[in-house]
Amino acid sequence: MSALTLTLKAPLTQRVDCSPLTPDFLAGKSLSEIASIALHSGNRKLRVDALFDLTGDDSSNIIIQNSSAKLDFLGSKMQSGSLTVHGDAGSYLGFQMKKGEITVHGNAHAYAASGMAGGIMHVNGNVGDYLAAAIPGDRKGMKGGTVIITGNAGDRAGDQMRRGIVLIEGNAGAYCASRMLAGTIGVLGSVGDYAGFGMRRGTLLLFQTPKLHATLQDCGSHTLPYLKLMFKAFQALPSRFAAIDNTRVRRYAGDLACDGKGEILVFG
Amino acid sequence: MLIKLTGGRVYDPAHGINGKIMDIYARDGRIVERALDGERVDQEYNLAGKVVMAGAIDMHTHIGGGKVNIARTLLPEDHRGDPVPHSDLCRAGCGHAVPSTYITGYRYAEMGYTAGFEPAVLPMNARQAHLEMGDTPIIDKGGYAMLGSDDMLLRMMSANADQNAINDYVAWTIHASQAIGIKVVNAGGISAFKFNQRMLNLDEQNSFYQITPRDVLQRLARAVHELGVPHPLHVHGNNLGVPGNMQTTLNTIAGVEGYPLHLTHIQFHSYGTEGDRKFSSGAAEIAAAINKNKNISADVGQVLFGQTVTASGDNMVQFRNASHASPNKWVCMDIECDAGCGVVPFKYKDQNFVNALQWAIGLEIFLLVDDPWRIFLTTDHPNGAPFTSYPHLIRLLMDKTFRNEMFSRISPDAQAMSTLGSIEREYSLYEIAIMTRAGAAKLVGLHDRGHLGIGAGADITVYTDNADREAMFKRPDYVFKDGQLVVEDGQVVKVTWGATHVVKPEFDRSIEQTIAKYYDKYHTVNMKHVKVTDQQIADDGRGHVQVHACEGRREKTA
Repeated sequence: MSALTLTLKAPLTQRVDCSPLTPDFLAGKSLSEIASIALHSGNRKLRVDALFDLTGDDSSNIIIQNSSAKLDFLGSKMQSGSLTVHGDAGSYLGFQMKKGEITVHGNAHAYAASGMAGGIMHVNGNVGDYLAAAIPGDRKGMKGGTVIITGNAGDRAGDQMRRGIVLIEGNAGAYCASRMLAGTIGVLGSVGDYAGFGMRRGTLLLFQTPKLHATLQDCGSHTLPYLKLMFKAFQALPSRFAAIDNTRVRRYAGDLACDGKGEILVFG
Repeated sequence: MLIKLTGGRVYDPAHGINGKIMDIYARDGRIVERALDGERVDQEYNLAGKVVMAGAIDMHTHIGGGKVNIARTLLPEDHRGDPVPHSDLCRAGCGHAVPSTYITGYRYAEMGYTAGFEPAVLPMNARQAHLEMGDTPIIDKGGYAMLGSDDMLLRMMSANADQNAINDYVAWTIHASQAIGIKVVNAGGISAFKFNQRMLNLDEQNSFYQITPRDVLQRLARAVHELGVPHPLHVHGNNLGVPGNMQTTLNTIAGVEGYPLHLTHIQFHSYGTEGDRKFSSGAAEIAAAINKNKNISADVGQVLFGQTVTASGDNMVQFRNASHASPNKWVCMDIECDAGCGVVPFKYKDQNFVNALQWAIGLEIFLLVDDPWRIFLTTDHPNGAPFTSYPHLIRLLMDKTFRNEMFSRISPDAQAMSTLGSIEREYSLYEIAIMTRAGAAKLVGLHDRGHLGIGAGADITVYTDNADREAMFKRPDYVFKDGQLVVEDGQVVKVTWGATHVVKPEFDRSIEQTIAKYYDKYHTVNMKHVKVTDQQIADDGRGHVQVHACEGRREKTA
């Protein structure tokens, strides 16, 4: 069995909702059945084979070749298997994903890992705004799982995030961890203004000294032994976070304008 | 244009026709007796073996007005989860529990419905309601104007105003809101909520106005009756959803002193307090009371399991239930100091004792009320379930085996508290036609709808007889709206625009001076701007107003 490979035929002019292209939805379907699935594209519906060349037969392992930033909802509500994207991914990558693995060799757009509840997402590139955030109308962002971003993240990474781990190896934009409810975000690079704005609980791990706003309270330097456990858990991950072993932090509590139970740990 | 429907099995309860094979002719949107001599039949449909009924009428469905839009705004996931792309014919849209206006019209038509009535048109919001209904294609529309917690009425009552003045105010409201009836929601309770009362029993006073719900109901029921409005006062009772509210409902029935009254979503008002969990079915008592009091009619407001949203003017109840919101977000608000509104998303679960018993209570009421002319098929869309679940509900009523199988799957504790399993009754096609067509048209006061007699509007639905009633009612073969084929094989094939049905009772216009002064003093809008005119409804060329006679309740179909 070889991986089910969908190769985008031509550059897209309109965005395409790819939510049906998940291992769970395609399981047990023949190539011709998959070819005839209709994908929403703007105000039209397009057949899969109008957009992609299809080869392979293992729908638990899907590869998108020649991908485009206009392919939205890749891996949406995914519950098993793996999805590999060569090229860029559009918005809502791994939207409400429950299990399985998504790997992108390229950039992803806004709302990556929004509503994600489990599984692992690895983006070898940058992501847009609202990484692991809640889409408008939802009360919670990411609810579980692990996200690794090797590049930079845009603004509002982890907005209203509820659980899970987001590891950003590059920089994060403004309002990182804003309105965060719980969970862990790590940023190896810099963060923009207003990190932890409206943060209620949760942990933000930073490795460069951020510029913090007034309602984040400096609680001094500490050695926190539990961090050893956390970094041990990171060791298995394909990320630069795996190499970290440091328990000495400067701790900031906040956002005191909200519950103030969140913490920003800055490693020296 | 003459069409002929040949050889179908016709169910037309308004004329006592129960499954007779007959031909139906319709010329230019109206049913006629036969073709004129030498007249050519333009279209003929051979309906041998098919079931023919008038187009169905949903006499209580929230399809327009402020709260529906609030529900849409509150639940983007409802819209994301059910997108509908456009076709060559139909517009795009979305929504499961609260579909967009266009999709509402298409889905109703595709189920064989040709009319729907919005039960909570707040006079202040009537324009919004009519704009939304004006965007709802194919089906006919109409609304019941909401009174009973508005300060104007409560002031008049506390000043002990003459009944004639109240009649004039009620009639003015019907005119201004382009309504076909009057609805009262938690009589006086929405106002009481603003004075910090969180419960209001039938004989409990509104702490500011010193008026009880009983007073409000009596005054309004009498007004509606004396104005000759065919639709009886449409009552959403007090204490919705409260265990033991059965007694309130029975008192309400006794309290109107014989005036006609329509009790809406009565399932939510039929709860007892027996059993270990102090929540039990009052269906038997309520059904007995309806059977006994011929002035009372009711629609059920059946609960069906799944995700939906409750949208109601009753902010007292919605505030009380807000903690049950699923997903956890809700809105309770005042609207222009004239009434209130509460929107709480809800997920009814078959393994939840209360939800399962609510489901059983609704079905018990359906099956225990003897007269199908006085009980109506609704889910109080979207409060009990979206209207798209009607075919499933019809199957539950018509198929005892299916019903009992569903019953055996609900929470065992709820099963133990319900007599549903022992009820043998199965609705017949004739009774379903009464409930959803003839009876509904009679109740609302539509003289030319809901039946297939000569002169009626040619709103006709054709089904293929199928033992699986859900499949049968889900996908009609043909639906004609005003003589035009709009749905074929469960798919819209032509988009037309229905009428807005209203009544215009006579009244003394001098009441406008009082009302104008009141609006000038207390409201943000001028009285003139509150009134919705016929022209405004017909303006875009897609709708028109159809006025029905106010001659009191019609007893026989013409």
